[in-house]
Amino acid sequence: MPENIGEFVFPGDVVRDLKVVNGVILRGPGLHSHEEPNCLLVTRAGKLCFKPPNVYWVEGHFKRYYPKKGDLVVGIIKKSGNVCKVDIGSSEVASLSLLSFEGATKKQKPDLQVGDVVYAKLLSAHREMEPELVCVDSYYKAGKLGPLSNDGFVMNVSLNFVNRILDVNSLLLRALGQKYVFEIAVGMNGKVWINGQRTIDVLNLMNALLAAERESNSNIVNVCRRYLT
Amino acid sequence: MEVESNVNLSMREVNCKLGMFTRPDGSVFISQGETAVIVGIYGPIEVKPHKILINKASVETHYCPKSGMPGIADKLCESILHNVCEAALASALYPRSSIVIIIQEMQNCGGIIPCAINACCLALLNAGTDMKFLFASASCGLDDEGNFHLDPDDLFLETAAASFIFVFDSIGKGLIASHTSGSFNLAQYQSALELCKKAAEGIFDFYKSTIKKDLKDKI
Repeated sequence: MPENIGEFVFPGDVVRDLKVVNGVILRGPGLHSHEEPNCLLVTRAGKLCFKPPNVYWVEGHFKRYYPKKGDLVVGIIKKSGNVCKVDIGSSEVASLSLLSFEGATKKQKPDLQVGDVVYAKLLSAHREMEPELVCVDSYYKAGKLGPLSNDGFVMNVSLNFVNRILDVNSLLLRALGQKYVFEIAVGMNGKVWINGQRTIDVLNLMNALLAAERESNSNIVNVCRRYLT
Repeated sequence: MEVESNVNLSMREVNCKLGMFTRPDGSVFISQGETAVIVGIYGPIEVKPHKILINKASVETHYCPKSGMPGIADKLCESILHNVCEAALASALYPRSSIVIIIQEMQNCGGIIPCAINACCLALLNAGTDMKFLFASASCGLDDEGNFHLDPDDLFLETAAASFIFVFDSIGKGLIASHTSGSFNLAQYQSALELCKKAAEGIFDFYKSTIKKDLKDKI
C-alpha cells in the first residue's frame, strides 16, 4: 500500500508498493507503467486516489477530453451525411452512423442537421483511430441516448466537475430540481445540455452550474440557494 | 564545487496566477521581478495534415513578442522553449494530435527565457497535459570581477561578462538544457551550474505549493 494515497503527486513522481490483485493493477488517467515492478509513473498533477482492491488514479482539474470506450458524451454534429462527424471536444471528431439509432433503417433515418446535439455512447476509442459513437445500447434500444432537443442549451464545464455533478451523493442537481423543472444531459466530455420550461430558467441553471464549479462540495448548496431565490 | 561567498542567492520575486483564461486548456500569468509572460496551452487538439506524426503528438510553440512580428531573437527563444517542452511532454500518449503552447511576452526586463520556461511548466501542469517530469529554469550572470548574480535583470546583463541559463528536470535534478553567452572558464561554469541548481529547487517547491493551492478547492 503506497503511503501517499490522498496526497498530491506531480509528473515524474513514482508511486511504489502498489496493491496487485492476480498480477493486475488498474490504473486510471495520469498513471503509467514504470520499469520497476509494482510501481507506477505519475504524469499529471493532482491527488492520488485509490479504490480497493487495486484501482489507482490521479484526480486533477482538466478541461480537455480524451475519449474513453463506453463514455456517455454530448456531441455537436459538424457534418451530416450517412456517417455524421460529431464534435465531442477531443482532438479528433467522432463518427456517428445514422444507422446506429433505434429503429433506423436505410430508408428511415433520423433527421440530423449540422449544429444538432446528440447524447451518444463511445463504441470505440483507440488513440490511433477516429472515435466511433452509437446511439443504441447492446440490445439496439435507445434508452436515454439519441438526439437532444434544439430548445436546450449546451455549456462546457471542466471534466472533474462532471464527475461531481454525476456523484450520487451530490446535492447540486437535487437542490436545483427543487426550484426548477428541467432536463439535463451530462456528457463525460464536459459538455452539458440543459433544457427548462422557460429561457430564464435555463439561464439561471447555467449560472448556478458555472458558480458551483468554483465551489467546494460542502458549499454548493449555499450557492444554489443564492441562485434560486 | 564551492560557490563564491559574495553571491546574491535571492531571486527576484516570482508571482503567478493560474487559469485566468477560459478558452485555453491551461493558462498562467507569471512575473519574475519586472519580467512577465502569459502562457496558454491547447492540447491535445486537431493537428494540421502537414504536421501530423503517427507515433506521437506534434508540439507547436509560438512565442509572441510584446509588439510586432517575431524577430530572430524571438525565434531563438521559441526554439529553446520548444526543445524543453518537447523533452518533458509525454507526447507518445497522444499520437496524431498536436499540443500548442503560446507564449505572450508582457514585459521583458531581463531573464525572459527562464521566466517563459517556468511559465510553460506551470501552464502544462494547469492544463493536465501528461508530462514525464517537471522542469524549472534559473539564470545567473557573471560580472567583470568574477562575482555571480542570480536571476539578473537587464541592467546587470548590459554590463555582465557572461550569462548562463540552465533548465533542470525534477527527477534527478539533472540538466536538460544549458544556454550561455559571454566569456567564462570551466570553473565559473560549474559554479554557475551549482548556483542555478539550488535556485531551481526553490522553483520546484514553488510549483508544488502553487498547484496544491489551486487544486484545493477544485477537487
